[in-house]
Amino acid sequence: MALIFTNPPGEGGAVARATAPFTSQRSRSWLGLVPFLAFLVLFLIVPAISVFSQALRGANGEFGFASMGEAFSGQNLDAFWFSITFSAGAAAVGTILGTLLAYVAASITRPRWLRNAVTAFSGVAANMGGLPLAFAFLSLLGRQGLGTKLLNGVGIDLYAGDFGLGEVTGLITVYSYFNIPLMVLVILPAIDGLKPAWREACSSLGGNSSTYWRRVGLPVLAPSILGGFILLFANSFSAYATAAQLTDNSKIVPLRIGFFLGGDVSVGEDAVGYALAAWMIVIMAVAMILYWALRRRAERWQS
Amino acid sequence: MRGRVFGRVVAPLILLVAAAFFILPLFAMMRFALQNVQVIDLRWSNLFDKWSLAPLWSAFSDDQFGRALTLSLKLAFGTGLISLLLLVPTIVWVHLRLPRARSTVEFLTILPYVIPAIGMVAGIMVIKPHARWFLNSDLSLIPFYVVLALPFTFRSIDSGLKALDLRTLVEASRSLGYGWIRTIVHVIVPNLRTAILSCLFLTVAVVLGEYTIADVLLKRTFPAFMGEYRGSDPKGGYGLAILSLVVTTLIFMIIGLVSRPKSARRRRARGTI
Repeated sequence: MALIFTNPPGEGGAVARATAPFTSQRSRSWLGLVPFLAFLVLFLIVPAISVFSQALRGANGEFGFASMGEAFSGQNLDAFWFSITFSAGAAAVGTILGTLLAYVAASITRPRWLRNAVTAFSGVAANMGGLPLAFAFLSLLGRQGLGTKLLNGVGIDLYAGDFGLGEVTGLITVYSYFNIPLMVLVILPAIDGLKPAWREACSSLGGNSSTYWRRVGLPVLAPSILGGFILLFANSFSAYATAAQLTDNSKIVPLRIGFFLGGDVSVGEDAVGYALAAWMIVIMAVAMILYWALRRRAERWQS
Repeated sequence: MRGRVFGRVVAPLILLVAAAFFILPLFAMMRFALQNVQVIDLRWSNLFDKWSLAPLWSAFSDDQFGRALTLSLKLAFGTGLISLLLLVPTIVWVHLRLPRARSTVEFLTILPYVIPAIGMVAGIMVIKPHARWFLNSDLSLIPFYVVLALPFTFRSIDSGLKALDLRTLVEASRSLGYGWIRTIVHVIVPNLRTAILSCLFLTVAVVLGEYTIADVLLKRTFPAFMGEYRGSDPKGGYGLAILSLVVTTLIFMIIGLVSRPKSARRRRARGTI
């Protein structure tokens, strides 16, 4: 009887039967997860809830949305717009170039090691970030950078316009270093999942290459591409360490949070810092839920 | 025809541009740190002059360096150990008894993406006044690093277990009289050597790369030292960054090497290649 109640209707019965000796005490089986769940609650969920408890606290300690509102207005709102702008830009660049690179890597057949090299390197570069990445681009595209000098040699003054490593264009360039390889890793399985038979079927039905991409290729890839875009957006939006080295000002949301946490603010103001963090968690949560849903959809074609 | 143009011209061109984009920043950093020539004076003729590791040696001799590196190594050791103690039993349990909970557990392990390091450290700052006895210690970073590493460590252990016939192993071990703990220590762990190794290496990479939490909590880990040291000696700071990059890259390469041949062999044995 207990089995029937603890199993949701549907496939539950079949699973229970197939693994009968192991699942006869279902409710007790969940106890095995307790240490893991307790650890997560203590060191991840409690800090996250604490952020919200501070963010939703008014000037006199009462519950209220004043700080959340303040975190979304004035300079803070500017920071959100700036962060969202460059994160969306970085995600768009990473998505397009990453997909292109993955397509090239997937179509390479001749030097056989080349494809493996691209995937292996992507695995490394997608995890690159933090201080070393910022240092690398400072020495390439900083005011005294090697690349800046090289460009000067061919008559291009990188700093003639409003370029700066801490500005939108600069951050997009720097973040592309991990965004492009991350997109390669996300999209490559999907591109491999495009079956040659589909292309053949398309052409034997009278379609040409563009018909194939419009009607088959892109629709199949769409969930992966969109999912990748969201992942890259979230990745760029939450990055702290690299940005902290590229710019001193706190017009980027993560740096602004760090500034408020640094404690150089008056007593009532620290709640704004927590409210910024709370908004960031909300945005990240929405992004990750969308990514998760899209990934599920994309996996249908990857067998 | 168009396909051939793509393969012969466009594809190599794209790869070349990509290679330049990914290699040039690293080269520029190496040159800045290790070549004692100002950018303004740099010509093609002196590109290979005056390279030296001296900035790195002077960074090593800073008296804060040893302390920062020791702390980061301790953190890496603790993070790796606790990750394994937490994950191996949990994932074994999930595979054996709660296969339907697998996707839920996997979802939980990507929560550190939802609550990024800067969000997490904001929460830690809230708790700090109530838990000074714990958070004042530098080693209190360990559990938070375990959480940050979860998306990586979970995947490495999980895929290692997927490749095993876990049920048969456990049934054999249990029917021969081993209890749960001895089964895990003497039967499962030896079969998971590769996955455990990747898990440990990944935690080292995470600990060596984590800056946000250490920076806000003012803990003097290796990355925090690197950022601070750059202020007084840019060349040395960049040299340390190169060093940490080399170590991290080696780690990912080793993981790639130890985890690939085995699965390839198995695939061949199954006849799918």
